[in-house]
Amino acid sequence: MKGRTPLVTSVSYVRLRVSEPGAGARFVSDLFGLQRVDDQDGELSFRSDDRFRTVSLSRSSNEGASVGIEVWDEAALEEIGARLRERGFAVRAADGLECRRRYVHSALLAEDASRNRVDLITRPQRSGRRYFPPRDAGIVQFHSVGLRSTDHVRDLAFWRALGAEVSDWVGDIAYLRIDGLHHRIALYPSQRNGLLYAAFEVESLDQIMQNSYFMQENQVKIIQGPGRQSASRQIFLHIEGPDGLIFSYVNGMAEVGDKPWLARQFPLTATSLCNWGSESKDVPELSAPG
Amino acid sequence: MIQLKDVSYVRLSSPDLESAESFATTCLGLQIAERGRKALYLRSDERAHTLCYSEGDPRDQAVGFEVEDEASLQNAASTLESLGHAVHAGTIEEAEQRKVKAFIGFRDPTGNHIELVLRPERSGRRYFASRDAGITGFSHIGLNSTDPVRDEKFWTQVCNARVSDRIGDIPLMRVNAIHHTIALVRAPHAGIQHINHQVETNDDVLRSYYFLNQRRVPIVFGPGRHPTSGARFLYFRGPNGMIFEYSVGVDEVEDEATHRPRQFGFEPASFCMWGSKPAGMALSNS
Repeated sequence: MKGRTPLVTSVSYVRLRVSEPGAGARFVSDLFGLQRVDDQDGELSFRSDDRFRTVSLSRSSNEGASVGIEVWDEAALEEIGARLRERGFAVRAADGLECRRRYVHSALLAEDASRNRVDLITRPQRSGRRYFPPRDAGIVQFHSVGLRSTDHVRDLAFWRALGAEVSDWVGDIAYLRIDGLHHRIALYPSQRNGLLYAAFEVESLDQIMQNSYFMQENQVKIIQGPGRQSASRQIFLHIEGPDGLIFSYVNGMAEVGDKPWLARQFPLTATSLCNWGSESKDVPELSAPG
Repeated sequence: MIQLKDVSYVRLSSPDLESAESFATTCLGLQIAERGRKALYLRSDERAHTLCYSEGDPRDQAVGFEVEDEASLQNAASTLESLGHAVHAGTIEEAEQRKVKAFIGFRDPTGNHIELVLRPERSGRRYFASRDAGITGFSHIGLNSTDPVRDEKFWTQVCNARVSDRIGDIPLMRVNAIHHTIALVRAPHAGIQHINHQVETNDDVLRSYYFLNQRRVPIVFGPGRHPTSGARFLYFRGPNGMIFEYSVGVDEVEDEATHRPRQFGFEPASFCMWGSKPAGMALSNS
C-alpha cells in the first residue's frame, strides 16, 4: 500500500451481547481491568486506551453484536461499500441513532459470509482524559479480534475487499494484516459465527503472568495460556468472560512492515498454535485435532 | 580473605544412578560427559562437568568454588584452620574425581560440605544438550543455613561474597558481577536447597513449565519472576527431592563500589512479582 492511504486503519471496538450486562460489567472492569465510561440506552461502555470506548456490553435482545473497523475517510468508506456490494455482501449506511450508539461520525453496517456484523466506521470518538483503569492489569490498548468463520473462503474475500492481507496460515486459520503488525484480525474456521476473542495488549510478559496468577486466585477460568503463537510470536492469555466470550491479554506480536511478505503455511497442530505447549481443551477453534 | 571466583560444580549422591541419569537427560536436559559404574558426570556449559552424581547416600552433597591459584588455596586452608574449621586436603585421586588440579574440603558454619578448587577442567567440545531446554550454564545454588545472620558473616567476612539484596534476614550473595551465586535459605539442617541453571529466553522457562508438567515432574515454584534479581524462574523437583531451577535474565551488579543491598520484606511478593506461590518448597524467615 505504498504511496496510497489504506482503506481501513484499525480494529476500533467490539459491541458484545450478553445475558446479564451487570454481571458482565463486573467481569470486564473488576477482573479484566477495563475502565467503565458510559451507559447509554442500556449499552455499557468500557475504555482500554485513548479511544472513548473499545468495548460495550448490552442485552442479547438488542441489535446484534458487532466489530468496529475504522476506515480512513469518507472516500474510503464509499470505495469499501462499492467493493462489498460488487462481491455480493450485504451493506447499508447507518442512520443517525446507529452512529450515535457507536460513537462515530458515519458508518456502513456490513456482514461477512458467516453473518458476523462488521461496522465500517469513520471518526470514532477519542477521549481527552487519559485512560485510568480500575486495577493494574497493565493494559495498553485494544489490539485485535478473533472471529469465528463458517465460510472461510468467502469471509476471506470480505476482508480482502477491505484491503486486509493474509500474514500466515495455521491450517485454514487466517491471520489478517491491516497495518504493519502481523495481524489485527484472525479468522478461525468454526461451526458457528461470532466473536472468538477480543485481545488487549499489555505492557510486557510480566503483566501476562501477573494476570494469569490473578485470574487463578479469583477462580476465573483460563481458556488457554500463558502461551505464544508460533506464527506471530505473540504471547497470549485467553480468559473466559461472560457467556463464554473470550477476553485476551496479549503482548509482543511480530511486525511484518511494508515489505512484500509471503504468507507462510503452518500445519494445524498444537505447536503451531502455541510453541510453549499450552493447549485449549474446551474451545474447538483454538485446538488442534488429535 | 578467601577469594571465591565462581561456583564450579555440585556433587550429589544417589542410591539409584539410573533414575538420576534419566531425570538429568530427559527432564533437566544436561549432557552426559562421562558415565562410570559409580559416578555420572554431567555438563551444562563449556566446563567439563558442573554436576556429578556418585552412588551413595543422598545426604552426601558438596559444592565446589573455584579459587585463583595455588597460593590462594593454601591461604584459604590456613584461614579456615585458624578459625577452627577442619580442612581436608584433597588427594590426587579425589582431585581426579572432581576433574580439578587440587582442592580442599571443609564445612561452613551450618555444616554444608564446601570445596575450594583449583583449575577445574574445561572441555574443548561445545556443550550439546540432551533435550532442547535452552540451558546456557550452571549458575548458582541455594544453600541451607541454620542461622543466616551467622552464615552471612562467614561468606562475606571469611570469604569475599557480597550481599546483593536481602529478603527478611536471607541474603542473596554474589562473588562476581552476577546478582547472586549463593542464596542462603533457612533450614533446620545442612544441604543444597536448589541448583540453578540459566536458560536462553523467557520462552525456555515457559516451554519447560508445560514440558515438565506433562511429564508429571512436580513444579514447586513458578513460573515466576524474582523482584530481587529480575530473573524469570521455574523450580521443580528431581531425584531424591533435589530442587532444580531454570532461570533467565539475572541482573548483573553494575557498580561494585556503590551497590547497596536492598531490603525486601519477607513476603510472597518478594520472591515472585508475578504472583506464583511456592508449593512443596519451604521458604522460612525464622
